[in-house]
Amino acid sequence: MPNIAVFLEQRAGELKKVGWQMISKARAITDQAGGEVWAVLLGEAGGAAVAAGQYGAHRLVKIVGGDFAVYNANTYAAALQKFCAARKPDLVLVGATALGKDLAPKLAVRLQCACLSDSVGLKYENGFEIRRPIFAGKCFIDATPRTACAVVGIRPNAFTLGAGAGGPAAEETFDAALAGLNPGAVVKEIRAGGAKKIELTEAERIVSGGRGIKGPENYKLIEELAAALGAAAGASRAIVDAGWVEYSHQVGQTGKTVGPNLYLACGISGAIQHLAGMSSSKCIVAVNKDANAPIFKVADYGIVGDLFQVVPALTTAIREMGA
Amino acid sequence: MKIVVCVKQVPDSETRINLAAPAARLDRSGFTRVLNPYDAYAVEEAVRIAERTPGTEIVAVTVGGDQVKETLKKDCLAVGCHKAVIINDPALAEVDEQGLARVLAAAIKKESPDLVLCGLKAIDDDSGQVGIMVAELLEMAHVSVVTKLELGDGKLKAEREIEGGKEIVEAALPALVTCQKGLNEPRLPSLPNIMKAGAKPMTTVTCAELGLAVPERTYEIKLYSPPAKRAACRLVEADDPAAAAKELARLLREEAKVI
Ligand SMILES: Cc1cc2nc3c(=O)[nH]c(=O)nc-3n(C[C@H](O)[C@H](O)[C@H](O)COP(=O)(O)OP(=O)(O)OC[C@H]3O[C@@H](n4cnc5c(N)ncnc54)[C@H](O)[C@@H]3O)c2cc1C
Ligand SMILES: Nc1ncnc2c1ncn2[C@@H]1O[C@H](COP(=O)(O)O)[C@@H](O)[C@H]1O
Repeated sequence: MPNIAVFLEQRAGELKKVGWQMISKARAITDQAGGEVWAVLLGEAGGAAVAAGQYGAHRLVKIVGGDFAVYNANTYAAALQKFCAARKPDLVLVGATALGKDLAPKLAVRLQCACLSDSVGLKYENGFEIRRPIFAGKCFIDATPRTACAVVGIRPNAFTLGAGAGGPAAEETFDAALAGLNPGAVVKEIRAGGAKKIELTEAERIVSGGRGIKGPENYKLIEELAAALGAAAGASRAIVDAGWVEYSHQVGQTGKTVGPNLYLACGISGAIQHLAGMSSSKCIVAVNKDANAPIFKVADYGIVGDLFQVVPALTTAIREMGA
Repeated sequence: MKIVVCVKQVPDSETRINLAAPAARLDRSGFTRVLNPYDAYAVEEAVRIAERTPGTEIVAVTVGGDQVKETLKKDCLAVGCHKAVIINDPALAEVDEQGLARVLAAAIKKESPDLVLCGLKAIDDDSGQVGIMVAELLEMAHVSVVTKLELGDGKLKAEREIEGGKEIVEAALPALVTCQKGLNEPRLPSLPNIMKAGAKPMTTVTCAELGLAVPERTYEIKLYSPPAKRAACRLVEADDPAAAAKELARLLREEAKVI
């Protein structure tokens, strides 16, 4: 009967959606195998017990006894280490976010347990089995922990949300009683990247542009279509290296690995390093003037044509449709 | 100032994984091996620090077999690292990330560095774990996903990438940093420097020589499988771009149900 702890990440009191996705999956497992789902929160976030319960958490454990308002690797790891030592979950799920990726390996060393990054599948049959891409999605592994616990990073959007019909989770607190910790690396300032942009790794839809857009002034075509779709704007490395858009937009083997419901590639040839970062997207659409471009090999839908005509037309069509 | 750079040799990003069906093992022979691209940022950053901080020594450390020597020479020693240490032990062929971190931590400890630089992730396992684990094992502060680094007064100030923005982080040295694209533009080695790099020290040690038992794996890999096959692309054809766009939008809503 596995007990699964799900780490709920809050930033400035706002909870990340990947938390609800992980709870939904964890609950599907405990419904089959027994055990409980514990949502674990460090810091303050309103409505956590209600939302966590909705998606299936049995308990919401609020860890107190430390300053958790802003992420600090040492305090977060120490608090979770104490919690895990006391409550012995069989699995700890952490969102594969900037914070989660920083925290998970540290926690795993402290718990001396297996750590799997950026996973996309989870099963339980006499033990957990974790599926994750390696070689940027060119191959997948199924892994089984050899240790009593395992810390597993879960890629945002890998799991679908449950129906969300559960009642509130039972609330409890756990006092980590942290004192005299070495501060380690301390966050001095958080700089938001301008207007509230949708983050690529969390986006449900992405529109990306490549060298086909011909110049930085045309990236707005991509951004306009993205805005119409409520999507994030991505890019190939070619236009990042050319300085047309910032690196944070790059999708691919040396950029972001993404898995949205919809990935729309405009003027992107589909080099193996680009495909690596987006081939797990659920629906891939390509707009390219070259019918032989490799991107069409992974695309579900495509238009062979000039993006300068197709992309604005698509923006208009989507707006008219009211997506 | 002493800097250790952890470098890994990985299959080239062009590598195709030929796996027709799920298998218990992955054949890694025949891959072209290169320096992990993220580790190139780590090497470059170390060299730039050394250029502005006289007396800095850079040690490149790797866990790998004999074939890593070429990468170490060309991409580390020839661009400015002073020496290289290879932990070469056939028993390490099967270790996982945590095992690698334990071995690296033991080797790094012997160097007593002020700064350890790693790549954000290795592009073969895509884990992004080893650096952070090394820091934890050495009880050092770490900053991951760094795109800007400043050193001074026994501490570092770094910018790290987070969702939709940046964090400015400070830590006392010694500390470990994992390097992200944007930190710098790695230089290429010159031919004369590659020739001269042959004279720089490259030592090989085993696990036993580090006073370490071979770490046990924390997880097993049961199966390697190819990605799910995708259906053939459906090309939307119409008289003009506007009609094609309309039809595509309809398909995305009614058939694919993604908008
Ligand atoms: C170590 C390494 C790591 C890499 N990592 C990445 C990575 O993370 N991400 C990444 O993207 N790349 C990466 N690359 C680069 C990759 O190999 C390709 O060079 C890059 O993806 C090409 O970008 P692109 O498709 O925009 O440009 P191109 O390959 O030049 O393709 C442009 C496409 O636009 C089409 N086009 C042109 N004009 C129009 C028009 N008017 N209308 C419609 N279509 C048009 C063309 O037909 C063509 O298919 C990496 C390479 C290396 C060596
Ligand atoms: N075998 C290795 N030898 C030296 N450094 C390594 C090795 N494996 C990983 N690293 C370092 O750890 C980083 C992250 O690797 P990973 O956790 O495997 O994604 C790499 O970019 C390297 O800096």
